[in-house]
Amino acid sequence: MLRKAYLFAAFFALALLSAVPANSQSAKMIEAGKKEGKAVVYGSLESDSAETIFNAFKKKTGIEVEYWRASATKVMDRALGEYRAGKPLFDIILTNDNPMQIMFKEGIFAKYDSPTAKDFPKDAIDPNLGPRYRNVIVGVVYNKDIIKPADAPKSLEDLLKPQFRGKIVMPDPTQHTTTTQWVASLWKLMGKEKADKYIRDLAATKPILVESLLPAAERVTTGETPIAITYIKYVYIFGKKGAPLDYVRLGKFMGDGHYLALDNKAPHPNAGKALIDFFLDDESMNMMAKLGEFVNRKGIYPPLPDADKIQFVEMVDLGTKEFKEKKDEYTKIFLK
Amino acid sequence: MSITEKAIEVGAALHATGSRSQIGLFLSQPISWVFLVVGGIIAFLSLYPTFFLFYGSLTDAPLGVPGHFTLKNYIRAFTDPAAYPLLLNSFIFGLGSSGLSVIFALTLAWITIRTNAPFRRLFELTAIIPNILPPILVSISWVTLLNPSNGLINASLVKIFGLEQGPFNIYSITGLIFVESLILTPLAFLIIAAALKGMDPSLEESAKTLGSNEFSVARRITFPLMRPAILAAATLNFVRAVESFDTPAIIALPARIEVFTTKIWREALGSFPTNHNLAAAYGVGILAIALVFVYLYRRFTSQVESFSTVTGKGFRPHQIDLGPWKYAASAFAFLLLVLLVVLPILVLTLVAILPYYHVPTWQTWHNLTLENFRYVWANARVHRAFANSLFLALGGATVCMLLASFASYITVRTKLAGRGILEGLVFIPWAFPGTALALGLLWAYVDFPIPIYATIWIILIAYVTRFLPYGMRAVSSTIIQIHKELEEASIACGAGFLVTFRRVLIPMMRPGVMAGWIILVTIFMREFSATLFLYSPGAEPLGPLMYFLYLDGMRGRVAAIGLVISLISVILIAFAQRYSRWESK
Repeated sequence: MLRKAYLFAAFFALALLSAVPANSQSAKMIEAGKKEGKAVVYGSLESDSAETIFNAFKKKTGIEVEYWRASATKVMDRALGEYRAGKPLFDIILTNDNPMQIMFKEGIFAKYDSPTAKDFPKDAIDPNLGPRYRNVIVGVVYNKDIIKPADAPKSLEDLLKPQFRGKIVMPDPTQHTTTTQWVASLWKLMGKEKADKYIRDLAATKPILVESLLPAAERVTTGETPIAITYIKYVYIFGKKGAPLDYVRLGKFMGDGHYLALDNKAPHPNAGKALIDFFLDDESMNMMAKLGEFVNRKGIYPPLPDADKIQFVEMVDLGTKEFKEKKDEYTKIFLK
Repeated sequence: MSITEKAIEVGAALHATGSRSQIGLFLSQPISWVFLVVGGIIAFLSLYPTFFLFYGSLTDAPLGVPGHFTLKNYIRAFTDPAAYPLLLNSFIFGLGSSGLSVIFALTLAWITIRTNAPFRRLFELTAIIPNILPPILVSISWVTLLNPSNGLINASLVKIFGLEQGPFNIYSITGLIFVESLILTPLAFLIIAAALKGMDPSLEESAKTLGSNEFSVARRITFPLMRPAILAAATLNFVRAVESFDTPAIIALPARIEVFTTKIWREALGSFPTNHNLAAAYGVGILAIALVFVYLYRRFTSQVESFSTVTGKGFRPHQIDLGPWKYAASAFAFLLLVLLVVLPILVLTLVAILPYYHVPTWQTWHNLTLENFRYVWANARVHRAFANSLFLALGGATVCMLLASFASYITVRTKLAGRGILEGLVFIPWAFPGTALALGLLWAYVDFPIPIYATIWIILIAYVTRFLPYGMRAVSSTIIQIHKELEEASIACGAGFLVTFRRVLIPMMRPGVMAGWIILVTIFMREFSATLFLYSPGAEPLGPLMYFLYLDGMRGRVAAIGLVISLISVILIAFAQRYSRWESK
């Protein structure tokens, strides 16, 4: 018993010793960050999530965060624009995989291994960008007041059934980038041959096309259209305000990974690093999960029924040429 | 000799020879200096960002990266046979919505300015409100009202008359034109109302003396005299409709109607990554179309004398006594205002007090909330955005109208060589799609020697650059109406150009100047497409704030902010309209 206690004490002391440098490094970084005054973030993270985390960061460190929120494409346009002109105003970029990879290839990011990154699963760590802090998952959402759960579709294939014809809304895959990617990645769920046929059959049901994933979800909350292909997090986000939404348990769900990275010409590098450390830590990941996000730290789930049973499949990255080819192909299929 | 005649002489002389003495004569005239200063500012504002877009359209690399000269962007943009049916759709959409907006505006302006219809002042005050609301919210309001599945109006009609399905379908070309025309009506109303306020009644009175009744006077005298203002409004609205993306995205897309901007979005602006070069090539194409319209407009209004309706003789536009018809006129104006203001504002109010966006049921009434208004009231970020936007709206509109007044005077009144170019310069940045121009502005100013990028001043410059044509159209249509004898009288009394401009022309132009100022204030309070790329992350104005709240699905907050902006703008408009009336002089 005593031996066990000694062993535990030795282990604890070792853990403490190894933690001290990280903590003191972190404290130094925060002090330096305070002298820099603020951290500037360009990102596509929803403003409520961003505001919650940045306020907590300010409370903990005293460092202010200025956030410029836009769509992923606009984030990339502005960041690359400033960077190429040699006047980047941002310290951190916070957006999804495809634009992050393009910006990485343009060489705008600094390598920073945050000590808090180690608690992410290995398969959620990108060699270039570090931890994939959240997955944004696309699925099938429906209005429970209009379609009883027993009558709801049970799979993607069910969407082709005659009873759902004219009752499905989705973003236009010829215009909305994430949806282009989602349709182009369906082979990952059903194999190439079946996916090609499925895409044609889905287009033949003449789904109602809208500009992006949010208007698709909103048409379901209003009851204008009962079923949508959209982000399943809306089931929780609108559901907590009273919207009668549920999602189809597909088992495997496709979505996009999101990352954050430090600018290699960051005007406030220490404040930026301190923010990355805080952002990837348990505290902020828990906050984000409570707001409905699927974060990748082990054991943290959003308050959505069966969230822990979801198997995430990352959508394929498409290059500029592939996007154009896919959009042209879907124009012929969906808009004929 | 009037300053106009002097200017003609100076311009002609300078044109004929370039001798030093004639340059001296040119420079000895105050109007020449005004031309050089105003022309210089406008040329810089317009050409500097546009240069980057033109350059981008002729290169194969993203802006800021050295590339090779190429015409492939133009070839790709304009040799696709699929583009031409879309251009036709855009033309029908632009013509329909611009035409309908002018009809709405003309009717409303005539009733409110020229008749004795009851409540006309109230109608005048509220007609501008839709211009305050972001167009996307107006489109969404109409979808909530007229969608075929559960639109509130359709559902009510089905219930009341026991119909099988709702009679209206917003997802159609008619629905598209209808909603866009409602969005465009306030702009046309302001321009036409300003011109109506400044009209000399003597021609109308002569026609009445010769036996014409009120309606035939309106048809044969009043409306022809209004032609410059009507054409100005129609030109602006046509181009605005053709380049608009919001309404087509919300209404045309589910209806599977494609317009040209849908193609631009798919292939350039909405492509991933954004194809700046192709976007710039499309922008240049739209610019060419817009310049054709500017040319046509100038041809229509070239016989300036025939439109001079404000003379030196004391007058006040007379009010037409409609007799018992005045109630019918009020009812008609009220109906238009229900469409323009009451219904969209009701839907917005509903959205602002709903816990989430949905069509209300009986259950809804138990769940209404003021949470969104509490957010507007208590959030420091919202307060900062209001302060920034108020500064930009008041400052930007004032600077813009000052520049527009001088520029309009030069283009309408003088014969200076290069005045046509000045008008063309003003229109160049306006003809580019908003996002494309924003990229041009980003590139123009990110590396500017004076460090104004990401400050509030760069946004002010962007607003003046993009929206100067609105100010110019509003003032030009008023200047055309002012007879030269007023300036001549001032000159004869010994006043110089600047004194005449300040003491005679500015007061006479006041309805147009104030109309333009109001248009600009209401646009600047909510502008986002140019602002988004230029504002400093810590100092966002209302437009970007509303944009990302909308992106995040917080329509309630957007609606609450929209309603507060409307209230503030109505107060500003009431003040401006009071100041612009002839009676208040």
